[in-house]
Amino acid sequence: MREELLSVGIDIGTSTTQLVFSKLYIENMASSYSVPRIVIVDKEIIYRSEIYFTPLKSPTEIDGPRVRQMIEQEYERAGIDKSAIDTGAVIITGETARKENAKEVLESLSGFAGDFVVATAGPDLESIIAGKGAGAHAYSKEHSTSVVNIDIGGGTSNLALFLRGEIIDTGCLDIGGRLIKIDPETHKITYFSKKVERLIQKHGLGIHLGMIATKENLQPIIALMVKGIKQSVGLAPIDDDFDIMITNKSIAQGHQIDHICFSGGVADYVYHDRAGKDYFAYGDMGILLGEAIRESDLCTKLHLIPSIETIRATVVGAGTHTTEISGSTITYTSNPFPIKNLPILKLRKEEEQDALMLETSIKKKLEWFKLEGDLQRVAIAIEGVQNPSFLQIVEYAKGLVHGLEELINRELPLVLIVEEDMAKALGQAMYHELAYKKDVVCLDSIKLDNGDYIDIGKPIAEGTVLPVVVKTLVFNE
Amino acid sequence: MNEQDLRKMVEQMVEQMVNKDASHTSVAYGKTTDTGSSTMISNECLPDITKIDLRKQFLIENAKDKEGYLAMKAKTPARLGCGKAGARYKTMSMLRVRADHAAAQDAVFSDVSEEFVKKNNFVPVKTLCKDKDEYLTRPDLGRRFSPEEIEVIKKTCGHNPKVLIIVGDGLSSSAIEANVEDMIPAIKQGLSMHSITIPPILFIKYARVGAMDDIGQVTDADVICMLVGERPGLVTAESMSAYIAYKPKHGLAEAKRTVISNIHKGGTTPVEAGAHAAELIKKMLDKKVSGIDLK
Repeated sequence: MREELLSVGIDIGTSTTQLVFSKLYIENMASSYSVPRIVIVDKEIIYRSEIYFTPLKSPTEIDGPRVRQMIEQEYERAGIDKSAIDTGAVIITGETARKENAKEVLESLSGFAGDFVVATAGPDLESIIAGKGAGAHAYSKEHSTSVVNIDIGGGTSNLALFLRGEIIDTGCLDIGGRLIKIDPETHKITYFSKKVERLIQKHGLGIHLGMIATKENLQPIIALMVKGIKQSVGLAPIDDDFDIMITNKSIAQGHQIDHICFSGGVADYVYHDRAGKDYFAYGDMGILLGEAIRESDLCTKLHLIPSIETIRATVVGAGTHTTEISGSTITYTSNPFPIKNLPILKLRKEEEQDALMLETSIKKKLEWFKLEGDLQRVAIAIEGVQNPSFLQIVEYAKGLVHGLEELINRELPLVLIVEEDMAKALGQAMYHELAYKKDVVCLDSIKLDNGDYIDIGKPIAEGTVLPVVVKTLVFNE
Repeated sequence: MNEQDLRKMVEQMVEQMVNKDASHTSVAYGKTTDTGSSTMISNECLPDITKIDLRKQFLIENAKDKEGYLAMKAKTPARLGCGKAGARYKTMSMLRVRADHAAAQDAVFSDVSEEFVKKNNFVPVKTLCKDKDEYLTRPDLGRRFSPEEIEVIKKTCGHNPKVLIIVGDGLSSSAIEANVEDMIPAIKQGLSMHSITIPPILFIKYARVGAMDDIGQVTDADVICMLVGERPGLVTAESMSAYIAYKPKHGLAEAKRTVISNIHKGGTTPVEAGAHAAELIKKMLDKKVSGIDLK
């Protein structure tokens, strides 16, 4: 009994915009004499779009209508109707996420791309998605080892460290192939990013706009960027140049890192020697950066592994690695799906001790979700217990229902997400506690944190499970 | 080697193996390091080796990648990473296999205690089996009741109840004592969502799964959900199954029973199994079928 989900992934990056369609296959892996266990068993990419330059209206504004036109055209070319799309994600990445209209463009696109295509942004999530798309995540799991993936795009380098299939840390640096733009014809330098300008001034490198770029005169700034990448993975000591290059945070120093993997457009020139090629064919410094990394000790001191995807890692990650499946024993007493962009209120484990503690903690923290005194939509996330007794279930249900009184009175949806497998019994207990008067959605086997958002899709596999996307929505300045 | 030396050796070995999470025990055993003929009499117990989580126990010496091995072990209850002494198991592994085997035997040969039955307000009945030996050797007798017991069943369950929950010891009394107190309230709660209530619960001594057919025959229940102890193994002696059937009667085909197996703390937890069972029961009442017909 295999079921298919058609998923779309769209990446609007600093330099390129891309799309992929993929199929996710889900199946009940449990034998017929136990409770169902529905999981994603396979993923297959069925269509890859062309790689477009991201259209900008001005240096601070994305050309929304043009992006939409490109997407529309690709849907047509693939022969896929948007009503056939079951799930997917639009991610806005790198410098593009900092454009003035990033949020509006993202929201209108996700609605346009399909009913349950979620909008995401944020450097940490971007790092994870790229690392999964590049295959670093799978490699760390299969080989029981640690892998850092560095996705070097036009504007940023996203780092994700995986250990045996678990994500350990993420980071983001303002290092990318298009931080210096060069006219492909005349080789004149036409653009510096602000941070590049700072570095040039700080070190007195004498590189300025309008000057003719050569491999030699760009070498010092490229060396600084390579040093920044080495610093991020612990191969060079941290200095104040590094602080300039950090976007929001880097991965913590001191982790054991065995393998390194590169993705993003620049990665093609890390893995392949394209000697003799016109260095400025793309109108930027990306090829030179890739070559410098290739020749650095990043590839000798750490074990370099091949990536499955380079320039498409993020879009493939968005299309195939964002949708999760909830646990297979869950409760939902009505069908309000899809529910989108629900922020998470995660309780600490200490706050789950008993009903009273739960109740007071929730009441206190719900205050955070009030806008001018009005409570906003929110989902509660808890860890739960591994093998709960029925009395514990009842205790949890009481604490949750009482703590969420205000949300219930305001007729907002009641959504609870538990990490441990207990959602069916807990959801029923909450429904019972509410005298069957308020609908309950209670899911499990999903790990969440404060700051996350969750999107929940329509039930699949005969209503047994719900597709879920856990994401962030960070548009940084 | 005399018995005393042997005991000392085993004690030391056990102590070494468990001293990570039971440092206090080393005090009690420090005394036994006296050599000579005097026997120390102590009321202390040996640490219970069955309390050690096998998924976290790692006995290989000088492993190249212990963390990686433990990450794999976390996904299976199989006895991996137990090392070896020459061509044989280590003493620790040997003792543990025997301890787990003993627990399995106990689960079969012990009875569900009368206090437990009383505490849960179960109504006790018994199949035609006289004792455990007859129960094990005569499966047919474990499926039928005497006329006197039938009267008790009729009185307890009434005629044509919508849903009956019954409990049978089956092949593991430990499974019943470990799980039903969490599972039954979860089923009841799930059924109450659909305003379904159930008559008092029967506890059947010396029960085979087929006993539900005899009960269905005399009560004409719409759905019977029977919780029964599974044949224990070395992984757990506390695994329980729920057999659920629509209108079970004599001669019911096995394929008409829906089963939820592996209900124990390391498998499907009893509360989630209960909530799931309630949903299955509701589905059977709506569709008037069970087993493979339910799909």
